Amino acid sequence: MDTNKILIAADGSENAERAIDYVTDILQGAAGFHIKLLSIEHLPDRDFFADDTAWKDACVKNREKLIAFLAHGKERLTKSGIPEKQVQTDYVESCHSPLAEKPDYCSRGTSIALDILHVAKTEGFKTVVIGRRGVSKAEEFMFGSVSNRIIHAGSDCTIWVVQ
Amino acid sequence: MSETVKQILDRLYPDGYMGRLGKVYTDTSDFMRITGGDVIVLAGEHYLVLRDEMERSFGVEDPKYWVKRCRHLESGERRILKLVFYETFSLSMGEMKIPCYRSPRKEARILDLVRNDPRFMQGFPAADEAGNNVRVLYVVQGKRLDNWIDDLDVDHPTYFQTHLPGILEKFIVSCQAINDLHKMGEKHGDIRRDHLWVTYDTGDYVWIDFDYTFSFHENPFGLDIFGLGGLLLYIVGKGFYSHEEARQLIDRNRKIPGIEPEDFLLVFKNRLANLQKIFPYIPDALNQMLLHFSSGSRVYYETMDEFLQDLTTCLKQVK
Repeated sequence: MDTNKILIAADGSENAERAIDYVTDILQGAAGFHIKLLSIEHLPDRDFFADDTAWKDACVKNREKLIAFLAHGKERLTKSGIPEKQVQTDYVESCHSPLAEKPDYCSRGTSIALDILHVAKTEGFKTVVIGRRGVSKAEEFMFGSVSNRIIHAGSDCTIWVVQ
Repeated sequence: MSETVKQILDRLYPDGYMGRLGKVYTDTSDFMRITGGDVIVLAGEHYLVLRDEMERSFGVEDPKYWVKRCRHLESGERRILKLVFYETFSLSMGEMKIPCYRSPRKEARILDLVRNDPRFMQGFPAADEAGNNVRVLYVVQGKRLDNWIDDLDVDHPTYFQTHLPGILEKFIVSCQAINDLHKMGEKHGDIRRDHLWVTYDTGDYVWIDFDYTFSFHENPFGLDIFGLGGLLLYIVGKGFYSHEEARQLIDRNRKIPGIEPEDFLLVFKNRLANLQKIFPYIPDALNQMLLHFSSGSRVYYETMDEFLQDLTTCLKQVK
């Protein structure tokens, strides 16, 4: 089992920042680890906008924000001593993105958790790290929980849920 | 020179009475100004505005200024026009606040998807001169399902034996309709008691009002499924039961099963989900379905397929 490959789910939230901080602290710049910061594009709902131009603008901003977050996360990891070549970033586009450039794999938008696990499986990451939002039971039912779904659906890998 | 309201009425509705002769609108952007006696023109068709639609809740009538009750002058039939109104608001679900949006384009898209499907209200989108996405709706000739059930003047055991199997059968058709929407990547968005109607002619159930939308990343259909769970609870119970009402029923039956907080709905904590405690003849499988929406549940429905599979089994048991 290649436990040295660590996948961090990075959705731009404070929870994701905590996950990055945790990995940074625990590795302490140790050599031999391969880390990927992964963002799954979640498009703003098209119906929230009066027209497609406004929606597309929001998609662009959303993408810029996440790519900046990934770059910032990478900087934090490399500053802690992890060699730059051992830290990757990956932005998985939505299949419905108006900006998509026909990638090999895209997110269908039905489950971010399953998208994360798909990347972990296909690229051989044996450790998946995710920050938890801390939702109530009712919120989990209504909105779903990415971390809980990863815990339930994840197999053949270790899951770190950072509170 | 364009026609006046009087000229339009003289031509298309000569025998009709209209106390006020208003203005002709081809641009509906300023919907607050459009009122009874005005005529809206969409794609060459004329709609005489009768009044604003009202939302009735808790005995109070609240005008919906963007929804106009109209008469379609070319056919003489009633229509409802939903004008473009963008609204962002918090939907209260128990203690939770869910950010929701009113989306004309979503409702227009679903109207196109469900055309000729009698399980949904019918209508079509029509752009006005300013490009506003107006929805022209056919009026559902019927009654709200909850009011229809409430008006059945029978006690619960009689209701359960006589009426519930037929109601559940039709409700399953309505749930399949929602499942079909989900499979097309759409959600109803506002499943509640007053949005499922019983038609006078066929007695079939019809979903109305699908302009609400919300964004949940990991469970996009969760709110719809929760809405159906609430409706099922109402249907099985012939109403909702608060803690106090349940206590009174239990006392009357001279049975004293304890009622615990986990017996109530997860979100609306004063609606008893564990109906078997007050109506012991409810089969286990049906009660178990209701308990999936309770505070005590550890497992929730994630898809309509799961919900429908269980509901179909339950129908066989109550028949």
